Amino acid sequence: MSTAVAELEGVAKSFATGRFRVDALRGIDLRIDRGEFVAIMGPSGSGKTTLLEILGCLSRPTAGRFSFCQRDVGAIGADALARLRGEEIGFVFQSFNLLPRLSAVDNVELPLVYRRVAPSERHERSLACLERVGLAHRAQHLPGEMSGGERQRVAIARALVNRPAVLLADEPTGNLDSATGAGILRLLQELHGEGNTLVLVTHDSAIGKQAERVVRIRDGRVDGSGDGG
Amino acid sequence: MITGDALRQVGIALRSQRIRTLLTMFGVFWGTASVVFLLSWGRGLERMLESGFTRVGPDIGIAWPGRIGEQYTPAAHRRELWFTRGDIDALSRLCHWAGPIGGEALAWSVVSYGERAYNEDVRGVERVNFELRSMRVAAGRPISATDVEHRRRVVVLGEAVRARLFGSADAVGSSVRIDGLRYDVVGVLARVGTQLWRDRSAIDDQVWIPLTTLLANRPRNDVDEEVVDTLLFHFPGPEHFADAKAEVRRILAERLRISPTDDEAIYVVSPAQALSQIPMGDIGGVFFLLAATTLVIGGVGIVNMMLDAVHERRSEIGVRLAVGARRRDVVGQFFFETLAMASVGGLAGGAFGAAGSWLLGRFQTADLIPVPILRADVVLLALGVMTAVGLIAALLPAWSASRVDPAQILRSE
Repeated sequence: MSTAVAELEGVAKSFATGRFRVDALRGIDLRIDRGEFVAIMGPSGSGKTTLLEILGCLSRPTAGRFSFCQRDVGAIGADALARLRGEEIGFVFQSFNLLPRLSAVDNVELPLVYRRVAPSERHERSLACLERVGLAHRAQHLPGEMSGGERQRVAIARALVNRPAVLLADEPTGNLDSATGAGILRLLQELHGEGNTLVLVTHDSAIGKQAERVVRIRDGRVDGSGDGG
Repeated sequence: MITGDALRQVGIALRSQRIRTLLTMFGVFWGTASVVFLLSWGRGLERMLESGFTRVGPDIGIAWPGRIGEQYTPAAHRRELWFTRGDIDALSRLCHWAGPIGGEALAWSVVSYGERAYNEDVRGVERVNFELRSMRVAAGRPISATDVEHRRRVVVLGEAVRARLFGSADAVGSSVRIDGLRYDVVGVLARVGTQLWRDRSAIDDQVWIPLTTLLANRPRNDVDEEVVDTLLFHFPGPEHFADAKAEVRRILAERLRISPTDDEAIYVVSPAQALSQIPMGDIGGVFFLLAATTLVIGGVGIVNMMLDAVHERRSEIGVRLAVGARRRDVVGQFFFETLAMASVGGLAGGAFGAAGSWLLGRFQTADLIPVPILRADVVLLALGVMTAVGLIAALLPAWSASRVDPAQILRSE
């Protein structure tokens, strides 16, 4: 019996943009189990990124129930939510979102800084993660001195460093050429093979095919869910 | 441990935005320096006015006679009044607040030495006048009681008169002629400098001879008394000027057989009173306003800079929140960054302003240019306000940025 990492019941999210209200999600029911590799797919504007943001506790649903690791996200405070993000979620963004002024290893350390991990342990764990993504030799380089693929590997190392319950990746290959993207995807596959839960947003069906399960989103609703491939 | 981390993040942020950091620090620096300097200068100006008015002694009152007022007697009978040495003695005996008391007789006379001759303000004085005017001699000796008693032809020159007649040479021991009569120069008055308040000439331009000598050479045919033109008196402090003035008028009125309320009969003035009529508060207010304006301008500059910085770094805030930073972690970082900039810039500015004020005070040679007077409360005020402005400017936008969903920040970038 697998345990649920995330459970969504009737989750909706709307944004007020000036005088208009945009309903990005209109009632999502979804369950993601530990160890799964789920691809969320859909055309642009379908709400897939919004869904990922909610899964990553970067924003809260405006309606419905979302529990993450058996905790009701709607009921916990901002600080607890920040801790949840830091400890249980590893985020990989399309545009990497590394801090340009920090070296690779300092970027990877960042989640540990906010968890108050001692500097020596922080450094050790960060170097180990960089080694895992094949960038130990670039630890002291700034993001600006690295290629796109290398930057995304640093971002993945940062996502891994807290041994999170789930890795969330938003179009992780969107800004990379196909060869580099394939390498990143291979890395993510390997991490999944090592037992990490992986949720990946993409509009590329070739990537979707590699997932165990594909969740299709259209107009803020789940359009279909099935096995990948 | 976490403080070390926070400081390290601050150091990285400040170093990486070198220009912005330097400009912000310069803003705080200049603002603090200007405020320190302006307020010190304002205090200096007050002090200068005070000293300019009170160089001849802060607590001196001067009385001179007029005529009996119109409402007291028909115009044709408006008797001209005068004071005598007897009045001085009477006042010395009877006054409670005023004292010591002296008199002065005035005469414009030609004073000559060799080829040089000038029309000078010659005053007949006694020994007590030196004390009343807070004057000492720079060379020689003052007029003595014996000089007065024996109507000696001796003279003490004001410094400017000495310079006019003798140039760079010593005057004591030489003799000058006053209205053709020979006087021995026994002393030279110490230089007073610019006087913002004076009766007739400045003291540097006066020539002092014994009162009796002057009276003997300027007989008033209509009266046989020893007439003095002005009365000088001391009083214990500015708050007692009114008391002293009232009793002097009361006693003189009795002796002159006039009404003590007759304003036209006896005039009494004092530099302290003149000084009190200068709106010192308004002057201070102007400087305060200048300083406040400087602070506001500096503050707006800092606010602008920090708003820009926070806006520029919204994505950084988003990333930090996404990897587990709490709102207070983010706000704290901006707090320490601003505090670092404000304290470095502020301390440097305070030191610069203080050093500037001090140096100007050191090398001041001109007579009546206000010397900045440094005060700790001024420095602290400037530092405190600039730091507070910077912190508010940094914290408000950081706080508002950290309030929104991290998703919203990350998306807007």
